[in-house]
Amino acid sequence: MAGKIKQMIDTIIAQRAKDNPMLAGVIKTKLMLKGIDPNKFTPQSDDDPAILAKLDVVAKELK
Amino acid sequence: MNITTAYSVSSIPRIAVQDLQNQLAGFDANLVIFFASSALDPEGISREMQAAFPLADVFGCSTAGEIVTGRMLTNSVVAMAFNGQAVRSAKIAVLEDLNRDSYEAFSSFERHFDTPMAAMDPNRYVGIVLVDGLCLKEELIIDRIGDLTNVNFIGGSAGDDLKFAATHVYANGKSYRNAAVLALIEPATDFTFVKTQSFRALDKKLVVTKANAFAREVMEFDNKPAAVAYAEALGTSVAEAPERFMHNPVGLMIGDEPYVRSPQQIKGEKMAFYCGVAEGMELTLLESTDIIQDTSQALARAKAELGRVSGVINFNCILRTLELGQKHLTDQYASLFAEVPTVGFSTYGEQFIGHINQTATMLVFK
Repeated sequence: MAGKIKQMIDTIIAQRAKDNPMLAGVIKTKLMLKGIDPNKFTPQSDDDPAILAKLDVVAKELK
Repeated sequence: MNITTAYSVSSIPRIAVQDLQNQLAGFDANLVIFFASSALDPEGISREMQAAFPLADVFGCSTAGEIVTGRMLTNSVVAMAFNGQAVRSAKIAVLEDLNRDSYEAFSSFERHFDTPMAAMDPNRYVGIVLVDGLCLKEELIIDRIGDLTNVNFIGGSAGDDLKFAATHVYANGKSYRNAAVLALIEPATDFTFVKTQSFRALDKKLVVTKANAFAREVMEFDNKPAAVAYAEALGTSVAEAPERFMHNPVGLMIGDEPYVRSPQQIKGEKMAFYCGVAEGMELTLLESTDIIQDTSQALARAKAELGRVSGVINFNCILRTLELGQKHLTDQYASLFAEVPTVGFSTYGEQFIGHINQTATMLVFK
C-alpha cells in the first residue's frame, strides 16, 4: 500500500490549521521535529507503519 | 506599569523573598514567575515565594544563572510580576510524574478557561513550560503538548548552576523534581515570540541513519559511525571534534530557521546530544555567528511587530551564557534588556514548538 502517510499529513494540517497559513507552518514544524518531513511524502510513498503510528497519535486528538 | 521585575542577591530564601516583596510593594500582582539559583534552598524559596504573594499564582524553577532587566546574575533570585491589566487569567498545573500523560493538566486548563484545549485560540492564550532540566523528557512533554493544542508553549529546562545534580520546578509553594510546571495564561495584551540562535548553515548535511532518540544518541550519520561522519564534515579528527561542539552544532533546517541540536559528547563512535535526534532527520552543520547582533535584531523585530514591548521572559541557553562569558560579552547582552522589564534564566534546554538547544526563546508582551 502507498500514499496513506501523505493523506494523513494533509488531513492533520487541514483540520488543525483551518486555512491559517501561520498555523499550518507551526504544524509542519511539529511534524518535522518528530522526524516526519511532510515535503518528503507523496501519494506514491510506502505506508511505513512506524510513521503511520506517530501520525495516528496526532490525528486522534482531532476526534 | 503593568509588568514589573525585582531581584535579590541574598541566598537565604526568607531574606531574598522579603527583598523582592519590598521592591514589589504596592504592585497588585495576580501572577508571579521567578527563577532562583540552586544556591537557594528549593523548598524554602518556593514556600516563601507563595507565602509572600498569597493572592497571586506563583511558579518558577531553579537556574544556571539569572537574567533581570539589564543584568545577568548568579546566585540570585529574579521575579516578574503581572497585574490584571497585563494578565487576565492564568492557571498553573504540575506534571508530577513525567511518565504519565498530561491529560490531567490539560483538563484543569479546560475547566479553568471553559474551553477545550483543541479549540483554544493561539492568539489569545499562551503557555509557559518549565521542566526538570535533568529529566531527559522534554521532547515527550513538548511533543504531547503540541499534539493536544495549537496554543504555543514556550519555556526552558531548569538548571542547577552547572552542577548537574538536581534541578527543581516550583509551584503551589512546593518544589518538584522529575516534574514540569505548565502555566496557561490569557494575557490582556498582544504578545509574540522570539526564537533566536546565532548560527549560519554551512553547506554540509548529515542524515541520521541510526539513532536512539530517547537516549539522545546518534549511532550513525550517512551510514558511518556518527563521530567519524561529524569529524569528516568539519575536516577535523574525532579526537579534536569535541572542541568544535559549541561553535559547530547541527540543526534541523525548517525553511531558513535552524532548530539546533547540540552535541554533548562522543561515546566511542556514537554521539550524545542535548536533545533528541530522530532517524531520518537531515541535519545541517552550523557555524556560530554574533549573539549580540542576532539577539538585538530579533528583539527589534518583536518590537516592530508589537509596536512597543512591556515585558520579556528570556529562556537563554546556558551554552550561550558560557559563550558570552568567554567572549566578555555578558554585560553587553544584558544591556539589550535594559530598557524593558525582563526576567529569565540560563537554561539546560529551551522549548518552543519543540525542544531545542543553544537558543534563546522569549515570550514578549506588548
